Amino acid sequence: MHTDEAVHAVKFGMLLENNFYRYDSSEYHGPTLYYFTLIPAWLESAKKITDISETTLRIVPVFFGILLIVLLFVLVDGLSWQIVIAAGLLTAVSPAMVFYSRYFVQEMLLVFFTFAAIVSGYRYIKSKHIGWAITTGVFLGLLHATKETCIIAFGSMSIALFLTFLIQDKFTGPTQKSFRKINFWHIVALIAAAFAVSALFYSSFFTNPAGIVDSYLAYGNYLNKAAHNDWHIHPWYYYLKMLIFSKYLSGPVWSESLIVLLAAVGILAAVFKKGITGVDFQLLRFLSFYTIIMIIIYSAIPYKTPWSMLGFLHGLILLAAVGAVVIINVKSSRFIRIFLAVFLVIGGIHLIMQSYLSNYKYYADSSNPYVYAHTSEDVFSIVKRVEDIAKVHPDGKNMYIEVVCPDSDYWPLPWYLRSFPNTGWWSEANMEVPAAPVIIASPGVEPDIIKKLYDLPPPGEKNLYVPLFDSYTELRPTIELRGYVTKELWDKYLQNKDLSSKDLN
Amino acid sequence: MLIKNFSKSLLLFSIFAFVLSSAGISQFISNANAQDQQQDQKLIPINIKLPIPMFIGTPQNFRVPNLEKPLGKPRPPFLAPAETKNVALGKPVSSTDDEPIIGEIELITDDDREAEDGCFVELGPFLQHVTIDLKSRHDIYAIVMWHYHKQARVYIDVIVQVSDDPNFIKDVTTLFNNDDDNSAGLGVGKDLHYVETSEGKLIDAKGVQARYVRLYSNGNTNNDLNHYIEVEVYGVPIK
Repeated sequence: MHTDEAVHAVKFGMLLENNFYRYDSSEYHGPTLYYFTLIPAWLESAKKITDISETTLRIVPVFFGILLIVLLFVLVDGLSWQIVIAAGLLTAVSPAMVFYSRYFVQEMLLVFFTFAAIVSGYRYIKSKHIGWAITTGVFLGLLHATKETCIIAFGSMSIALFLTFLIQDKFTGPTQKSFRKINFWHIVALIAAAFAVSALFYSSFFTNPAGIVDSYLAYGNYLNKAAHNDWHIHPWYYYLKMLIFSKYLSGPVWSESLIVLLAAVGILAAVFKKGITGVDFQLLRFLSFYTIIMIIIYSAIPYKTPWSMLGFLHGLILLAAVGAVVIINVKSSRFIRIFLAVFLVIGGIHLIMQSYLSNYKYYADSSNPYVYAHTSEDVFSIVKRVEDIAKVHPDGKNMYIEVVCPDSDYWPLPWYLRSFPNTGWWSEANMEVPAAPVIIASPGVEPDIIKKLYDLPPPGEKNLYVPLFDSYTELRPTIELRGYVTKELWDKYLQNKDLSSKDLN
Repeated sequence: MLIKNFSKSLLLFSIFAFVLSSAGISQFISNANAQDQQQDQKLIPINIKLPIPMFIGTPQNFRVPNLEKPLGKPRPPFLAPAETKNVALGKPVSSTDDEPIIGEIELITDDDREAEDGCFVELGPFLQHVTIDLKSRHDIYAIVMWHYHKQARVYIDVIVQVSDDPNFIKDVTTLFNNDDDNSAGLGVGKDLHYVETSEGKLIDAKGVQARYVRLYSNGNTNNDLNHYIEVEVYGVPIK
């Protein structure tokens, strides 16, 4: 699990066990991820964090990723069957979409609620039914309750709507005519629904009214973060470069340039109303403006993390589907049509291969551009060693463990060691508490730990500690973790290991 | 008069006996309470409120594909303060066997852990011991010892003790004892027997303070003789 996933997992654990959630306007985003995860947890009859697994958590973004494809069918009349199927296929094979749809973070929910708001809004414009207005409001409320970057989606949708009207010289399109007949009270209902849903979640279902106010004050915190966080500052072309071409040393070529290329074709078709029939060009123009504005805003913000691009990537995928249909239907010679078809197939196969590689081979490898500050696979050997030591400790999994890492940089260990309730988490060596029989720490605090182990206890009561891990062990690339265990416990572990191997023989 | 005096005496005696008994009973009760309290003190667990993990944001990314993990030096066999060193190196050694069969007793602290000929000392059969004089009191954190390890052998009745008394009569601390039948007469040992390897046997000395280190053995699984290749005592001098 990524650090972010583990933080969300432990916060979800507090909700599951104690029915406690309080929105933190400084970090960790909105509450929908946690409350929706209650559903799979309840289905598994889970009551504690130790009852759930990575699957319980990650099934939530997977579910919303699948729904994102299903939702396309609600737009068939506006996009056409060909575009809907092409968009579904491209969403299903886009490496970034597949990779992050199994990350326990807010991103996939954000993309779904954004698209659902767009779809509901379009359905309302077509039908004028108050039900769709309320549905639009519900999804806008859920969007607001998911992540603070919803403000970018709100702004992009609003500007895109304005521009869609602006480029239409005559108010003759079906969409403009529809807009003239909107009922004022339907808009009131939409806004009320949005506020109600957002307030429901941010108030933790009416147990924390202050959360509602905090959800609006949060934008100040996040604007500050966007400008001043040094760790995640990247140039304006960061996202586009990642999508178009990435290759690190001997790793594979990563590229979703097929989607970018086809999206460009789709945008041209939308703006000039050429190359395709049976679609609502206003919808396509709206999607074009919306996507371009999102790309500009996200590229302009210095603070960047790879998963943040999913919003505009989804827009690019929808437009790429338009572009793909334009290409398939191009009126040209048979040779050119076959060539284009083969080009699309090969491009699609390349996307499928990348999806496979990013999820089954390079899922924690830095040569995968979507792997960003991801946990090293050493975390599994860390946990295995601690579990093996616990087997020979008289207290078992209740044994006392000390974890000491400056700036609390021990994540995702709190998730992986969740079945060890007597684990203490420190940013520096605490001289006031006795030393644990098992200590996991950053190398930088080793001198303080030595001081604690050797200066504090009286002579004859200083336990000897030996290395817990067999070799250099990392939490993330270049972030070493060291482990120490009392020799007495280590001898028991070795003896137990010998007995086990003899039993196997 | 006699009866009156006798009754008075009896009364006095009864009062006296009652007072004594009361004192005895109350003493017994208070002793019992103290014992209970002591036992309760042993049974009361240490009440530590362990801190929960602090939540953090997305960590910094280091994109280093195909990064080889640093090899560097192997991790040391145990954790110890930086100034810890083998304080037995070159120190004088004495033994129950004044004329070893093979080698010299000084080989035990010559920093040579090899099992080749000329690197070990062979002492006589049955229970023997060697004593290392560290020349001053030290904080001792670990002791590592090598018996003959060119073949797989188990040495019997291995006992390691430290003391400030060169005769090991008083203030003796036993750090290791696998003499499970007390044949050496130094107490029943709970530690396990082990097969000799080139890594040596690491013993936790618990930071005990002492000047002398004594090591016993009583033959091995191959023969009745006793062998030492090297003994290292890791600690720091007490200032």
